[in-house]
Amino acid sequence: MLGAAAAVSTLSKGVSAATTAPRVVVVGGGFGGATVAKYLRMWGGNVRVTLVEQYPAHHSCILSNLVVTGALGMSRITLNYDALRNRYGVTLLPGRAIAINEARNKLTVSTSTGNVVLPYDHLVLSPGIGFVPPPAGYWNPKLTPHAWRAGSQTTLLRNQLAAMRNDDVFVMTVPKSPYRCPPGPYERACVVADYLKRKGRVGAKVIVLDANDKIQAEPEAFGHAFSVTHAGYIEYYPNATVQSVNSTTRSIVTSVKTVRNAKVLNYIPNQKAGGIAAELALSSSGFVPVNPLTYGISSYPNIHVIGDACAVPSSDGKAVPKSGHMANAEAKVCADAIIRSFLGETPDQNIATNSACYSPITNKTASWLSASFIYGDIYDLTGKVKGKGMHRVDLGEAPSDQIDADSYADMFTWSESLFADSFR
Amino acid sequence: MRKICSPAFLITAALAVGSLAATTVAAAPPAGQLLASQCAQCHGTNGGGPGFDAIAGESADGLYDELIEMKYRTQIESIMDRQARGYTDAQLYVLSSYLATLPKSGSGED
Repeated sequence: MLGAAAAVSTLSKGVSAATTAPRVVVVGGGFGGATVAKYLRMWGGNVRVTLVEQYPAHHSCILSNLVVTGALGMSRITLNYDALRNRYGVTLLPGRAIAINEARNKLTVSTSTGNVVLPYDHLVLSPGIGFVPPPAGYWNPKLTPHAWRAGSQTTLLRNQLAAMRNDDVFVMTVPKSPYRCPPGPYERACVVADYLKRKGRVGAKVIVLDANDKIQAEPEAFGHAFSVTHAGYIEYYPNATVQSVNSTTRSIVTSVKTVRNAKVLNYIPNQKAGGIAAELALSSSGFVPVNPLTYGISSYPNIHVIGDACAVPSSDGKAVPKSGHMANAEAKVCADAIIRSFLGETPDQNIATNSACYSPITNKTASWLSASFIYGDIYDLTGKVKGKGMHRVDLGEAPSDQIDADSYADMFTWSESLFADSFR
Repeated sequence: MRKICSPAFLITAALAVGSLAATTVAAAPPAGQLLASQCAQCHGTNGGGPGFDAIAGESADGLYDELIEMKYRTQIESIMDRQARGYTDAQLYVLSSYLATLPKSGSGED
């Protein structure tokens, strides 16, 4: 194996004379992990890929707000690994990564039959997010779901919403940026308000407590939705820093607003790198800094972090969003860089990544959002070059006048395509 | 609604190399493969769907002209007008040229 070489050099040595196929271990079977496993197999010839994932299927956060309202069933967002295994030849290992031996290129995985040690030439971590607990109180997501990882949390929130009656209050938080899916919390507020209105829940409302100073994505579209489309059903409070949470009484105290005994408390905590990535060196915001050409970390360039867990160098005020679509984009750059490293080539610098997203505003309309990045100089807020990274090059965000039924239909075309490109 | 991008003749290349020596990695990635793969989120793996407009196996010049038109359209008409702004003209050309080499009916299967 070329493990030792891989760890030492910036890019691992070519493998043309190797006697066994190079090995890549991928941790986490969400959009990032599934895509990198698939594309490594599709592009990488005889590269052997093992995907470590504790659950038998992934539940997509994309579209999950429509499961919360009952518009879609859970099966619609359930993505299994059959195609990765059968069509692309990815080896699945059910289990949880518990330790990395960086110097020896070995990953220890806890499985139902005991610990398994996997040697690797490259390790790709795509563990998603972890949660930062509230500063005080009693927080139990089994009582007050965040539903910011989909699955049983989504079902729990759906059931709690369905139990709401007249005059009941649904209180939710928007985490401090950066967090998974910038438009997601505002989308949730919209579809929950829309649900309450359509069900005729008189006097019921959504209270949005935003830890940020303003709406973090599509401010025009969501601002209009909050103040016009869903007027009377949504109360929005910016600068609401969470001070304590009580999941038993469904109460929350923030710096600007306190709500006690809500019918539903959808506390979405602040976020950081998830799973085993949390044990690596983290940025001040809690994510793993990576090289934008390879997604490798500086101390061990053959360890890569993609998706929501990584921090991509970017221009100030133009961060690379944490989204399933972007995780898919990063996975392809990472896969290409790993394959080039096996060939003894340097990483491609002519790279671009993008994210697109459709957000339902009602049960018939949606908005869209697009963000595109090219590798090159990145800038601080004064316009001075601060280094290299992924610079956002598109013009901005969707105008609010494109919230319509066409976009609602396009949302399903987009999600089906993204699901298929990542998992099938 | 249109979008551009995505990869497949590489598979043929990979298989060819693989048959020569079972222990080698794929051939060097062809120009445009990685850039074009960023279209697949909305147009399917290798541009073969499911997704928005079919983009595989079209003429390179036709795709490029369409992308340039979208990139420089002053009034944004669709999400692709924004997405096209996410690439340099040279990148749009190389990804169009790559997409043109893919089979029209590409399904992302190997």
